Amino acid sequence: MNVALALLWKDLVTEWRSRDRVVAMTVFALLIVVVFQFAWPNREPDEVARLAPGILWVTYVFAAVIGLGRTFATELENEAITALALAPGTRGWIFLGKAGATWVLITLVQAMTAFVFALFFKVDLTIGLVGTSAVAALANVAIASIGTLLSAMSVRSRFREVLLPVLLLPTLIPVLAAATAATATSLAGESLGLAGIQPLIVIGGIYGILCFLLFDFVLDE
Amino acid sequence: MSAVQLRGEALQKRYGRVAALRGVDFLISSGEAIAILGANGAGKSSLLKILAGLSRPSGGHFEALPETGGAALPRERLRGLVGYVGHATLVYGELSARENLLFAARLYGQRPSRERLDQVLADFALLDVADRRAGTFSRGLAQRLSIARAVVHEPSLLLLDEPFTGLDELSATRLSEQLAAQRSSGRTLVVVTHDPRRASELADRALLLHRGRLCASLARDTGSDFAADALRARLAEVAREGEDAGASSA
Amino acid sequence: MTPSNIPQNRIDQVMRLLGWLVVALLPVYGWAVAQAPTDSVQGVMQKILYVHPPLAYGAYLGFVATAIAGILFLWRGHELHDQLAIAGAEVGTLFCTLMLITGPIWARGAWGPGNWWVWDARLTLTLLLWFVYVAYLLLRSFTEGDERAARFASVYGVLGIALIPLNYWIIDLVGGAMHPDNLEFEQEGSSLGEGMGMPFLLGNLTLFLVFVYLLMLRWRVGMLRDGAVEEPPDGTLTPS
Repeated sequence: MNVALALLWKDLVTEWRSRDRVVAMTVFALLIVVVFQFAWPNREPDEVARLAPGILWVTYVFAAVIGLGRTFATELENEAITALALAPGTRGWIFLGKAGATWVLITLVQAMTAFVFALFFKVDLTIGLVGTSAVAALANVAIASIGTLLSAMSVRSRFREVLLPVLLLPTLIPVLAAATAATATSLAGESLGLAGIQPLIVIGGIYGILCFLLFDFVLDE
Repeated sequence: MSAVQLRGEALQKRYGRVAALRGVDFLISSGEAIAILGANGAGKSSLLKILAGLSRPSGGHFEALPETGGAALPRERLRGLVGYVGHATLVYGELSARENLLFAARLYGQRPSRERLDQVLADFALLDVADRRAGTFSRGLAQRLSIARAVVHEPSLLLLDEPFTGLDELSATRLSEQLAAQRSSGRTLVVVTHDPRRASELADRALLLHRGRLCASLARDTGSDFAADALRARLAEVAREGEDAGASSA
Repeated sequence: MTPSNIPQNRIDQVMRLLGWLVVALLPVYGWAVAQAPTDSVQGVMQKILYVHPPLAYGAYLGFVATAIAGILFLWRGHELHDQLAIAGAEVGTLFCTLMLITGPIWARGAWGPGNWWVWDARLTLTLLLWFVYVAYLLLRSFTEGDERAARFASVYGVLGIALIPLNYWIIDLVGGAMHPDNLEFEQEGSSLGEGMGMPFLLGNLTLFLVFVYLLMLRWRVGMLRDGAVEEPPDGTLTPS
């Protein structure tokens, strides 16, 4: 457990000092939002409200792919990933620390993107804010987990920029589907209830546990 | 520090079609200083990684036995007793030297005090750069940090992969002295090198590898010549024999 | 009984039998499909019913084989298991691709004109599975180091196999919006009419056996080619 906290601390401190992941993800997400503005010239306000969850989550997923590609970037210079492979005990804790830091970053980027999106597209995102935030927080558990594991695999390959999205996107489809549906419910002002977030809890749980257990096999030299 | 014995029987390591190790036997007792010598491609790094618990052998049998008796240590436990220095420095550029050491210790489940960290930094002449980002270090400084990182958690075994590469004479001599100091504090030392002079300085025993096989094992105390030149000659001989054997079987 | 304990003659025998069975069944199957009554509404296209659904055996069981073999590889490290994983992935991808090619024919037949693709459960799941297969194969080819590739692929196999039920559940739950609205569902295997039972049964049986045969063949080829298996004179297969 301390190992997880150590990784969490290390990743967040490194990110704070260089800010490269957070900036890259946010700029990319904002660009996508702007692209939607120009790809969608003749929109009606109620259309926007209806499609907002989908657009937001597509943006989040693509920004996440960009950010996840850099999860092990600090471990690549000087091969520090070997230092992680050398750590004793269950390697799942290392995974937990890294996935936790990624979760923080993704959630932060999403919040900023949502704010700008609401501004640009005049969508009221404060309706059901608690619900939408809960949905995002839960979905990010799944995204951060699977993203960390797959990033650790793709980082060893010369083709990592291409490989990660190909590996990641099929696994994110259930998350996308569940998150969009739940966000739509919440933005429409309806209460989510347990049934609404249950799919995300299940996906997050499955991905989290599987990735925790499988991480050991990914770190060996 | 717990005393541990490393034992390998018919160890093999394959990377697809390429066999890095083709059957290596050895026994390394606690407190020994071993040099692994050989040309490039001899399998030295692969062997070291198995010793460190970083990779699993493809064939054969490897185990780490506590000298006090008992069952063989599982790989997760063995890693806790090992300090490994690789070709790369394994440090984080964004963190300071002190932070790097603290993080390394925490990976091993330890939380060293400030005094302890200062002590380690002083041992490796890193105190004045303790709070500088490691990304700004020169090669010599980075190398020292790399070794400091490997010993901060007080491992029983110190495994180094070609630590003298790229060091100037002065730094190399200083490193050699440091390793001797580590040795005298009871650590088992295993150094991979292709420099017979360093092997002769540091080790009691030398394992000579060629093309994945252990071709010779020389010890200082058996009366066989352990001087650098002798080792160099023996190494060349082993390489020649290897080539001849290869040529005749082709 | 692990494969290494089975004498080679036995495996050869089984494969030869399977091979002959497949060769015998295929023309019978073909004839049965040709002979089946042509549907009055859809014409010959309806006969895809005898081809498209049975391909599912290969498409889905292929990945099941890959995933299980991957787990065994992670546990034991035998190259044998990794070769089975590769075989499952390659043969499975073949069947999955065929399913996607026959899919539009099926969709047009089942859902009416203009519906060359429909987001119904089976087609959607199969499309998602296809992407997982492709990802798996790319992971194998882009990872450096055979042992690492096998290990990583096994990990992805576990994730992939969890994805199949997960996708099914999610599509069921939230995919309501994806179902085409005003379409009549015209044909489904559960309501087989006169003369359709036999070709349907034959289709299932034949394509299932074809899958098993191709899987074993690919596994065997993989093991022999990559040297995982030596063939000592006494005829028993042992992993080297």
